[in-house]
Amino acid sequence: MADNAAHSAVEVRGGARWRGLLAGIVCVGLPGLFVFAPLATFLLYSFWRNEDGQLVREFTLQNYRAFFGDATFLRVYIRTILLCLGATVLNLVVGYAIALFIARRDARVRFGLVLVFVLPLFTSYIIKIYAIRGILGHRGVLNELLLGAGLIDQPLTVLIFSQTAIFIGLVVLYLPFAVLPIYLSIERIPPNLAAASADLGGSTLDELRHIVLPLSIPGMILAGVFTFVMTFGDFVTPQMLGGIDGFTFGRIVYTQFGVALNWPLGAALAIILLITAVGVVFFATLAGRWSTTR
Amino acid sequence: MNRRWHPIDVMTGLVALVAFCVIYAPLVVVAVFSVWQPIRVKGALSLSPPNFDSYVSLAANREILDAVYTTLGVGAAATVLGLILGTVLAFYYLYTTGLPRQIMQALIFLPFLLPPIITGLALLVAFREMDLTRGVPTILIGHVVVVVPIIYRTVLVRLNALSPSLREASLDLGASDWQTFRYILLPQLRTALIAAALLAFAVSFDETMVTLFLSGSTSTLPIRLWSMMRLGFVPDINALATLIVLLAAAIAFCVGLLNLRANSGLRG
Repeated sequence: MADNAAHSAVEVRGGARWRGLLAGIVCVGLPGLFVFAPLATFLLYSFWRNEDGQLVREFTLQNYRAFFGDATFLRVYIRTILLCLGATVLNLVVGYAIALFIARRDARVRFGLVLVFVLPLFTSYIIKIYAIRGILGHRGVLNELLLGAGLIDQPLTVLIFSQTAIFIGLVVLYLPFAVLPIYLSIERIPPNLAAASADLGGSTLDELRHIVLPLSIPGMILAGVFTFVMTFGDFVTPQMLGGIDGFTFGRIVYTQFGVALNWPLGAALAIILLITAVGVVFFATLAGRWSTTR
Repeated sequence: MNRRWHPIDVMTGLVALVAFCVIYAPLVVVAVFSVWQPIRVKGALSLSPPNFDSYVSLAANREILDAVYTTLGVGAAATVLGLILGTVLAFYYLYTTGLPRQIMQALIFLPFLLPPIITGLALLVAFREMDLTRGVPTILIGHVVVVVPIIYRTVLVRLNALSPSLREASLDLGASDWQTFRYILLPQLRTALIAAALLAFAVSFDETMVTLFLSGSTSTLPIRLWSMMRLGFVPDINALATLIVLLAAAIAFCVGLLNLRANSGLRG
């Protein structure tokens, strides 16, 4: 009887080991097949080349050389970084104001206010771009309103199919991504810190400067990284709002897979886009660590 | 806590008000134009009398409706597959130790962290290497890759919040692993799974930048809209956009309520 029980226990353990191994193969293998393998293949592509529309699978650095040797690529690359940094900074400032406003309201209305500013994330991205184009267009809603109010005589042409249009579009589309992380970091600050500050005679401004601002830095960094990485990788907004003047780096990558049909070059440019994004995440994390340990 | 309005609140409140108007303007314009069509009288913009013409012509627009059906089908399939995978992977992370689970977690979070253009292009290149023709299956794989991290994270957070003694007690009392999962853990996961499913469906429904690289001749709604918009204005889009915004708002509201309930349930 006892012998039997011991035997079955061993058997169960043996079965569990096989099951564990199988689970491991499935649970690590599937992400490996559908995430790791594609990314690795993609990286390989960037070291191959295109010749007369044929893929030549030989190692070459010519795609990367093409990027660093071409002033047009570099100019668009730098301009896109500046554009996205600008959109990120504006979103951080506006997002911070919104988050602070919500965090200082009564607990009862806070949830509703957060929902109001996060809801646009759930509404169709492509439809919002389409609507923004309708608003900013040459004979769009904004121009008509300004004309009607007598503020301008001629429709503003800078509003659509320009870098300005992309900037406006990116700010409007990605603002909710900035609000949420900042709000969560402010809300997490223990209320007794504010109470202590008030007890010691600190004003509201003291509280904001010495308690809220330093403690919300991680949220701001997260919001900034989120906004930058997403605006930098976005090629749909520039494509729809940028026109001919609004070429961005994401659009150049996209073109290589569409009209230009040079996949290896496109892959290399996309890898550069990725390295830029990872670099921003890295430095932002460093900055965050530095600001909290100071 | 009834605080008086500090000048800071007036300033931040004004910024919030302006931002609110700006981010909702596109949605409002679309909704208004779906009922009052913009028309030009002697060059100036004005609105037609209210009517539902755009909704009627939307109902007859086969191109858009086909895309809607594809999107709903892909969304439902991606959600179900994502729920199964996300839950299995969350359990795998919780009940194993060591390097494999770390690798697994890092890999499934990657598509969530990377710019979508990278995920889309990587899958595009991989599918070409596998000689897989682009179509609904490739779109579906792409969407599953995108929604799994969302579901995985929601489920894992919930599982971590559960006391480990629940599972231990169940196993001690002689329940099998499956019985413990089915009767003890799954009921506890219900709200998390519903919230994750809604979120995953909403993300799949709206997914544009990955799908753009993976769709062949059949396309989902965002891709169909993208190609229609490049050709020019179609009034049906306003009607469709209004309906989608209402649906999205309803989904977001449900997710919000579920999270609220789950959180207050944990506290109570």
